[in-house]
Amino acid sequence: MYLSKLSSPGIIESDLGVYKFIHLSFYMIHLKHVSKIYPPNIVGLDGISLHVKPGEFISIVGQSGTGKSTLAKMLFAEEKPSHGTIEIGGWDITKISDKEIPLLRRQIGVVFQDFKLLQKKTVYENIAFALQVAGMAPSRIREIVPRVLKIVNLDDKHHRYPHQLSGGEQQRVAIGRALVHQPKILVADEPTGNLDALNSRDILELLKKINEFGTTVALVTHDREMVNRLKRRVITLQDGKIVSDVEEGRYKL
Amino acid sequence: MFVSTYRVFKFAFENFWRNVWLSLMTISMLVLTLLTVNILLVINRAADQAIKFVENRIEVSVYFQNNADPKKITTAVEYLRSLAQVRDVEEISAEEALAKFRMRHENDPAIISSLEELGGNPFGPTLIIKAKQASDFETIIGALDNPQFRDVIRNKDFSNYQPIVEKIRHTTNNVRMAGLILSFVFFLIALLIIFNTVRIAIFIHREEISIMRLVGASNWFIRAPYLLETVLLSLLAVLIAIAIVYPALLFVEPYYKQYFEMGLADYFEQNGIWIFGAQFLGLLFVTMLSTGLAMRKFLKV
Repeated sequence: MYLSKLSSPGIIESDLGVYKFIHLSFYMIHLKHVSKIYPPNIVGLDGISLHVKPGEFISIVGQSGTGKSTLAKMLFAEEKPSHGTIEIGGWDITKISDKEIPLLRRQIGVVFQDFKLLQKKTVYENIAFALQVAGMAPSRIREIVPRVLKIVNLDDKHHRYPHQLSGGEQQRVAIGRALVHQPKILVADEPTGNLDALNSRDILELLKKINEFGTTVALVTHDREMVNRLKRRVITLQDGKIVSDVEEGRYKL
Repeated sequence: MFVSTYRVFKFAFENFWRNVWLSLMTISMLVLTLLTVNILLVINRAADQAIKFVENRIEVSVYFQNNADPKKITTAVEYLRSLAQVRDVEEISAEEALAKFRMRHENDPAIISSLEELGGNPFGPTLIIKAKQASDFETIIGALDNPQFRDVIRNKDFSNYQPIVEKIRHTTNNVRMAGLILSFVFFLIALLIIFNTVRIAIFIHREEISIMRLVGASNWFIRAPYLLETVLLSLLAVLIAIAIVYPALLFVEPYYKQYFEMGLADYFEQNGIWIFGAQFLGLLFVTMLSTGLAMRKFLKV
């Protein structure tokens, strides 16, 4: 079964070739003294050390420009650390090669503030695309995508194009796409930034539901209400450093 | 992997239709550059034919003495005909030469009366030599210096031919050269236009491409549909170009034949597959190269 393949550790040969997998290791996310320096001397992140266990729900908060997004981007290798190491599910991705990055991203779900949907594809096609890039058979896709559409409550709009949807609906498509391949980690970078309060709540509920199914969720946000309502682990960044890491945190800045 | 191949084709077609205006705009640019190339081909061909037309009309006349030994004349004719540079040798006997002369000057009493006074036939046998190219005349004229029959040639001085033939040769060469240079310049322009058109098209897709990367698509899965779409665009552009060029040629044909007595459309008909096949391959090469470079440049894909 698809899920069990993801659970087995190490390097596995599948019909898609030799594959590196994220596996259920002690830490899902493990950063050791990670810094990001933009030449000549602009510090994005400064000596971040952080570990996240599987199934946790963490919020990364801080003022704009403190490096939250940079940290999030490192989780799916959009940015690489200048110093330090970063491991995702036991896989050291500090110096990951360009060829392997797609493999990593097929096992992580990402949600963005600007939704990042493919404008020329329908809702159904956008979600299916995440499975198509991994070469999944069309019959399997036809089974899975409708289920996901139901989870995010968009089954009646599956034929619509993004520009025909509201902001909240578009973000739900993005979440659907992010979880369709049952990722071990979901990274949400300011997912409610472009949404109103009501939609933000819906999105948060979705994220919580996803977390309940076992996915580690890393939420980057500056939405205070959301963070306070969650009552989960809150990691606060300031000037590129972690200034607080509390298990049942509140947004305090 | 067959599924992925199928998907690549499907995406390529979807891309084409769902961005139909962009696709049409790109095709129209490609068609315009193809038309430029074809017009140049036609002009070059016409220039070539015009030059041949002129060269066909150049002749060298060789006048033998009236009492020349027929055997020597025959030798001369055979020798000249054997030369690679000679296209044709026309023999005119002494009597024919006289008759022609009378006809040409029948309205000029002074000349007719001079003939009567001379009595007999002042003309000897004449040869009219046609060369293959303007540059061949030098060789032919040199060949006439052959000791076998040199002494029976009445006029040994061909120096007044030289400058004229030289001038014609010079001019035709210049026209050919100018045609080539002009074609080359326009060809370069066409390349640049295609390159930029394709770059713009890919630029418009850059956000899509970056999103595909974020979702974990491999480079080839992203690239392939665009490359396939390029093939499709090139094919359509060539077909449209043919649909425009061929009828245009047929339309112009009657006027063209009046001037040049040679066909234009049949050249294209005979070599059509080569001409348009080469254009298709050339276009394909340029567009795919441009697509590849543009993708690499914009998104390191």
